[in-house]
Amino acid sequence: MKKIIILILGIFLFTGCTNNQYKGVVNVLNWSSYIPDDVISDFEKEYNIKVHYGTYSSNEELLAKISSSKEGTYDLIFPSDYMIELMKQRELLEPFQKEKLNNLNNINIRFLKQPYDSNNEYSVPFLLATTTIAVNKDSIKDNITSYQDLLNEKYQNNIVLIDDQRIIIGAALQGLGYDINDTNKEHLEEAYNFLMKLKKNVKAFDSDSPKTFLITKEVDIGLIWNAESILAKEENDNIEIIYPEDGYVLSMDNYAIVKGSKNKENAYLLIDYLLRDDICERIIKEYPYISTNKHVGNLSDEEVSVILKNGSYIKNIGEHISDYDKLWARIK
Amino acid sequence: MKKNKLFQYFLLFPVIIYSFLLILIPLIYVLFLSFCKNDSYGGMIYEFTLSNYLTIFDFTYMMILLKSALIALIATLICAFISYPFSIFLMDKSERTRSFLIKLVMIPFLTNSLIRTYGWIVLLRKNGVINSALIGTGIISKPLSLMYNNLGIIIGMVYTLLPFMILPIYSAVSKMDYSLVEAAKDLGASKWKVFKEVILPSTISGLFNGSLMVFIPAIGYFFISDILGGGKVMIIGNLIKNQFLTARNWPFGSAISIFLILITFLLVKLYKKIGGKMDDLGGF
Amino acid sequence: MNKNKLFRNLFIILVYIFLFLPIIILILYSFNDSKMNIIFTHFTLRWYQELIHNQELLNAFSNTLIIAITSTAISTVIGTISAVGLFKYKFPGKNLINGLIYIPIVIPEIVLGISLLSVYTLSKLELGIGTILLSHIAFSIPYVITSVRSTLNPMTSQIEEAAYDLGASKLKTFWYVTLPMIFPGVVSGAALAFTLSLDDVVISYFTAGPGSNTLPLKIYSMIKTGITPDVNALSSIILLITIVVLTVATIYQTKTIQKREMAK
Repeated sequence: MKKIIILILGIFLFTGCTNNQYKGVVNVLNWSSYIPDDVISDFEKEYNIKVHYGTYSSNEELLAKISSSKEGTYDLIFPSDYMIELMKQRELLEPFQKEKLNNLNNINIRFLKQPYDSNNEYSVPFLLATTTIAVNKDSIKDNITSYQDLLNEKYQNNIVLIDDQRIIIGAALQGLGYDINDTNKEHLEEAYNFLMKLKKNVKAFDSDSPKTFLITKEVDIGLIWNAESILAKEENDNIEIIYPEDGYVLSMDNYAIVKGSKNKENAYLLIDYLLRDDICERIIKEYPYISTNKHVGNLSDEEVSVILKNGSYIKNIGEHISDYDKLWARIK
Repeated sequence: MKKNKLFQYFLLFPVIIYSFLLILIPLIYVLFLSFCKNDSYGGMIYEFTLSNYLTIFDFTYMMILLKSALIALIATLICAFISYPFSIFLMDKSERTRSFLIKLVMIPFLTNSLIRTYGWIVLLRKNGVINSALIGTGIISKPLSLMYNNLGIIIGMVYTLLPFMILPIYSAVSKMDYSLVEAAKDLGASKWKVFKEVILPSTISGLFNGSLMVFIPAIGYFFISDILGGGKVMIIGNLIKNQFLTARNWPFGSAISIFLILITFLLVKLYKKIGGKMDDLGGF
Repeated sequence: MNKNKLFRNLFIILVYIFLFLPIIILILYSFNDSKMNIIFTHFTLRWYQELIHNQELLNAFSNTLIIAITSTAISTVIGTISAVGLFKYKFPGKNLINGLIYIPIVIPEIVLGISLLSVYTLSKLELGIGTILLSHIAFSIPYVITSVRSTLNPMTSQIEEAAYDLGASKLKTFWYVTLPMIFPGVVSGAALAFTLSLDDVVISYFTAGPGSNTLPLKIYSMIKTGITPDVNALSSIILLITIVVLTVATIYQTKTIQKREMAK
């Protein structure tokens, strides 16, 4: 018995010692599958700052986490466009001190001064994500170009969707020819019928790593983020990436500092580190979204313009969100 | 005498503080929240309303409640159908073997439940171990859909909760008076009749104990429906989780929780009525 | 008759296959050279080597251990004292307390999780290891109480009385007389608390904060974003350790029982 106690105490001391070498911490909440682990651990080594890294799978989950935790629990977060606007309204964000960043000039100005935060008072853009349809051409020979095409009965149990109500309801609305931010009750009802038909073809909803479903051939079609599609294509070259003709979601994710943050200085150090060219390169290599860094990326300015032109941003729809909530619960 | 009192306080003070601070107050607060209003993006308004409870009876949410009750019920029944023959068949063995075999039931449950659930993904997916084996031996030609549907969830629930059914039923069966079974057999009763007339009545509290310990967690285990249901099937656990962690409608989430507590209390009352002891619940 | 026996044994074996299949698969794949956990390619030990460098995973494991050990220690002490107190004394409100302590055992974990989260938020407690620890203590105490209570009976009170009559103080009696009598209940209560804490997903999920990843939470997020076989390796090691500890404990137990019987 004594030996066991000594052993346990030993483990205690061992684990206790390994944690105390950092001079500071920064509490980060970010999208899952967004920044490679080694980028974070290199920061910890370089700056001697411990990063407490948590993840979320939707903007709504982020909002819930921030507003239910005590002020000062989190420092750095990565909300998308409409969530910046909403968090600004709810006074959950700290004004951004751009002068603390040395590498701000690396950002392509076309991504700055967006309508949700027109002077970048509260946010600086990090990455641009878009939704895409990925199709495994090994087994699907049809030409898929729109959301309507996904309703084909042939694809039963063969689709993976992002698990995010705004995006999927938005896709249904676009498939029906409505605006992605439509709040008209009749249009939402049509979207419900659309999604119920689509659900027969859906094998799973997954936001965190939908590419796995395509790579393991669990499904042949995915309505998933662009980087996920590209990563799936890297594993299987016969995967085709499609920007649906009825439109798709643009999601600009930003750096933002949470109100009451206790480790602001460290958060700015981390942001400045993430803005570095070499770091952006590493992030994009592992998660191929569209970087806001002007020195990085495989897409030309014109190609980015085309993507921006045909996509649409999700907007804050205020209290109508409860209609979306309910619709989503009905679908599931 | 004074010293006596001091000792009494020493023994009772912690449990009183504990049960008020960590059980009673949290539950009362949830009860309070369930009567509050909610603004659309998760602010709470401290005004009295019954609407959260009325929303539960909305068709959408009622369907989720019924569906998850059905899934939990099927899982409970399957567990019972496995546990009874298992426990009865074990009685053939010597006492030593029996105690070893019962310990063996617990071994899988000493590894992490999520990693075990993950093990089921490896087994059940389209090109997973089971499908590959069945196709390889020529039993089927096309892979079966074993997960990302209700079936996957039920397999996961049965697997995770089976010992909670096996243990109480085994303990009831092993305490049973076997001469009764023999007598019934001698009188020519069929196997089913022996089970129905003799075994079931004398093990009913074990069965009810196990059913409680399977059914109630099965309503709430959101991680199983998340992982093995592919995010497609919402059970009450997911619904509550979403209200608290995504939709940020705490009052509605609280109302569903209170509703669940009421159902639990009702089941526990029933359990006590048939002669079950509270201390047997959740014991090993 | 023989056929019947065969069927019975077959059924028992099938149940064990069902129970052990996922675990065997996990252990098997911890030696698999492929990263995707799909096809078994080659035998390798590399995941066991990589495990040492997976700081995140090891951190989560050490958090889990710290929480499990601390919460077991605290809940065992409180639970044991409380079981004895509730057995010995009558006081107003005793029925209420007795009813309350069953609640964490019977209500769905998720309800306990959200109610604790609500109170932590209300009292502005910062979510993190501290709140997870407090929550684990909250759900462990009732299990310890019921486990200890099963070893208390009128006999134990009579022996205590005898000790008082011989002039022992209350505290001394508790330590030298009561505690040894109820010790088996204390140990099994502690073991139960430890196992529950080690494996808890639901309650930790609601009460965790930044930097307080436990192993189950880490594995949960890894299952969603892509699991690597070093998790299999870690789980296999944990399983091996628990089996060894259990076997040693069982042998020790049977030996002491044998010794006692010999002494008689």
